[in-house]
Amino acid sequence: MLTYLVRRVLVAIPTVFGVATVVFFLRTLLPGDPAIIIAGPQATPEAIANIRRQLGLDQPLWQQYLSFLGGLVHGDLGISTRTGQPVIQEIATRAPYTAQLAVASLVLAVLVGVTLGVLAATRRSTVGDLGISSGAVFGVSMPVYWLGLMLIVVFAVRFRVLPAAGTDQGLASLVLPTVTLALFSMGLVTRQTRSAMLEVLGQDFVRTARAKGAGRRAVLIRHALRNALLPIVTTIGLQFGILLGGAVLTESIFAWPGVGRLLVDSIGSRDYPVVQGVVLLLSVAFITINIVTDLIYAYVDPRIRYS
Amino acid sequence: MRLRRRVVTLLMLAGLALAACGTGGGQQQTSSSGPKHGDTLRVAIGIDPDTLDPAAQTTTTAGQIVDMMAETLVTLDTKGALKPLLATSWTTGSDGLSWTFTLRQGVKFTDGTPMNAQAVKFSIDRLLDPNTFKAVPGVLGGKTGIDHVVAVDDTHVQFFLHTKFAPFAAAMTQTNAAIISPASVNAAPNTPAKIVQPVGTGPYKFQDRVAGDHITMAANKDYWGTKANYDTQTYKIVPEAASREALVKSGGADVIALPPANDIPSMQADSSLKVILGPSDRTIQIVINTQDATQPLLQKPEVRQALNYAIDKNAIIKNVMFGTAVPLSGPMSTSLFGYCPTGSYGYDPAKAKQMLQSAGAAGMSVKLAAPTGRYTQDIQVANAVAGYLRDAGLKVDGPATADWPTYLSTYANVPLAQSKIDLHLLGWAPAYLDAQQQFLQWYSTQMPPAGLETSYYKNPQLDSMIEQASSSTDPAQRSQIYCSAAKIVWNDAPWIFLYNQKYPYVTTSKVTNVPGLPNEKFVTTWASPA
Repeated sequence: MLTYLVRRVLVAIPTVFGVATVVFFLRTLLPGDPAIIIAGPQATPEAIANIRRQLGLDQPLWQQYLSFLGGLVHGDLGISTRTGQPVIQEIATRAPYTAQLAVASLVLAVLVGVTLGVLAATRRSTVGDLGISSGAVFGVSMPVYWLGLMLIVVFAVRFRVLPAAGTDQGLASLVLPTVTLALFSMGLVTRQTRSAMLEVLGQDFVRTARAKGAGRRAVLIRHALRNALLPIVTTIGLQFGILLGGAVLTESIFAWPGVGRLLVDSIGSRDYPVVQGVVLLLSVAFITINIVTDLIYAYVDPRIRYS
Repeated sequence: MRLRRRVVTLLMLAGLALAACGTGGGQQQTSSSGPKHGDTLRVAIGIDPDTLDPAAQTTTTAGQIVDMMAETLVTLDTKGALKPLLATSWTTGSDGLSWTFTLRQGVKFTDGTPMNAQAVKFSIDRLLDPNTFKAVPGVLGGKTGIDHVVAVDDTHVQFFLHTKFAPFAAAMTQTNAAIISPASVNAAPNTPAKIVQPVGTGPYKFQDRVAGDHITMAANKDYWGTKANYDTQTYKIVPEAASREALVKSGGADVIALPPANDIPSMQADSSLKVILGPSDRTIQIVINTQDATQPLLQKPEVRQALNYAIDKNAIIKNVMFGTAVPLSGPMSTSLFGYCPTGSYGYDPAKAKQMLQSAGAAGMSVKLAAPTGRYTQDIQVANAVAGYLRDAGLKVDGPATADWPTYLSTYANVPLAQSKIDLHLLGWAPAYLDAQQQFLQWYSTQMPPAGLETSYYKNPQLDSMIEQASSSTDPAQRSQIYCSAAKIVWNDAPWIFLYNQKYPYVTTSKVTNVPGLPNEKFVTTWASPA
């Protein structure tokens, strides 16, 4: 197990390095000069040249790349060209917000999704099943942007029970962005759970369990759900990446100061060091989640052994 | 049994719904009572200021926040006229190169240190220092700006310029010329190169900031002038216009900048809100490449005039801008020093067609571009313009569009030889309210990459008038030169003159005294509960 883990981590290092390189050179495809954006429309050429010098953008690209890599090895992601703050610090103040939102959404999506999926499977072809399945399709197909605004209109503007945007109302502030972000994953998890459960419920060992007189709940949870978990865990693992991506839109709608918005602001102002930093962070998060998901497989299904 | 199961299912669903919604109860804002004296004023704005360092200010919204904490020597009143702030008076020497400002006495920075001539010299020297991070001195620096500053005594400071520059006092109203406490640059987290928490003499002082979330300022109890009504003001960063609208409607904000343009009519009908169409000095235009090689017909003034007649500006303002603009009656906003009315290009499609016909330009092809998300309804306006040009018989390719940085580097800020577009939408907002700033748009030394004179308009007569007006110290003479120059520009039509946009912002009906300045700042500093 430990060998497996070490191997996975070692393989991840060149992946992160590759991502860093690709992200660094993608900037050459992106039109727009950060110094001109920073200096504003009335700037003189001298002022622009001075800012370019301050940001190190007057150096040749290969030199910028080498100093970027050099910094990366030392855990230094450079200085934000927009704010002048270290990129690490910029990300560190934003990451907890995104983590909070992503984890809350994942928990909500899993709890509701698995519950509804099990309910739908056990009530196959009833009105309840139809309702849940339709709801799941709704969740998967609603555009996040529209959904977020509708929730704001209903819960913040019409009924005034939840804040429209921002972070200043404690947990209440988290509710609408969490629901908005979770709904897509919730729909997917519901559908995945339903189909996995249906497959398992039709198998012999479930009939055996019923025949030997196990209670309904024991059959569902201990026998059926446990065996249906593997594809569900895969879906959930993948969802985490989707949640991090979906956070970009959700954070903008709800004025949530996470890394998604930091990324959007940074692209808009051509703040390359921050764009690189955020993409690196997201890829590391994604790789980590993939490894964790694989480890969970082994826990869920004792037949799987890594070596 | 079956019934029980259904009840359990329903309960589970209800529980989930409650779990999703139930945490809000105790902390909800009571929006019905509105803010009171001493409370916090909550303002929602769309952009997250890149920096609060006065010397590095380029955007009006960030500048508006900095203005509350750090004051300039001279400021603007709501009509755009100059008004003393930290300076009580100013004079210019007979050579026009030196300017002496007399400072207000007994003013202290919020760190307790005195505001005096040394502090003014320190602040301006810092603005001009190339090591100050992202400092943008604009006209105050460079070869034509300030040469050096002398602190004559505690209350007098002298500025020596490289060249005569008549609108110098107006240029000193810009936030980047704000006076900061010299001691504060060494107080962490500030450094001499970069200020994170500005310390000035303003009615508010910095309290805290969470990047991307909010900036909070506390009232300066020892302020030398009229004290603020709210103990604290929080500027929340809310990038989506629709979310800002929801905040002010739901009681989550007292003032918001820039609501969605298409919702302005319905917000105007809502008695719990006040929609203010604040003044702005920003003109929006379709810039014409006057030296166009791919469509040489645009080099003819009569063709460019015809394009001006072909567009129904009033209809665009009413239907696309939702009333948040006024048509131009000259090549600049009426709030600028030097403005005079030059006429109007009324919508006359028949005349436009006839002029195009006689210039041999009937059915000519043009390429049009516009940014998306830079100005109010920018791409929508460009689409309407394209429609009118097609009605006039032109073959219009576009509007091509891009986000602002891409747009700037692809279509607008490119040297003539690399230009690949015939017409492009652009806005121009003078940094201070003097025609000198507007004429940078037709001053041939400002063609890209030196500046943003993207019509590549070149008229030696106009160039010399611009230089004369900039160096003359006689306001009456300056005003007259600008008026004649404006008429030349209007007739030569390097632009399709569209409109002077307004700067909409909204307050709840429970807040008053949030005036708008002609430079797109809405001043919440002395806001008061209604």
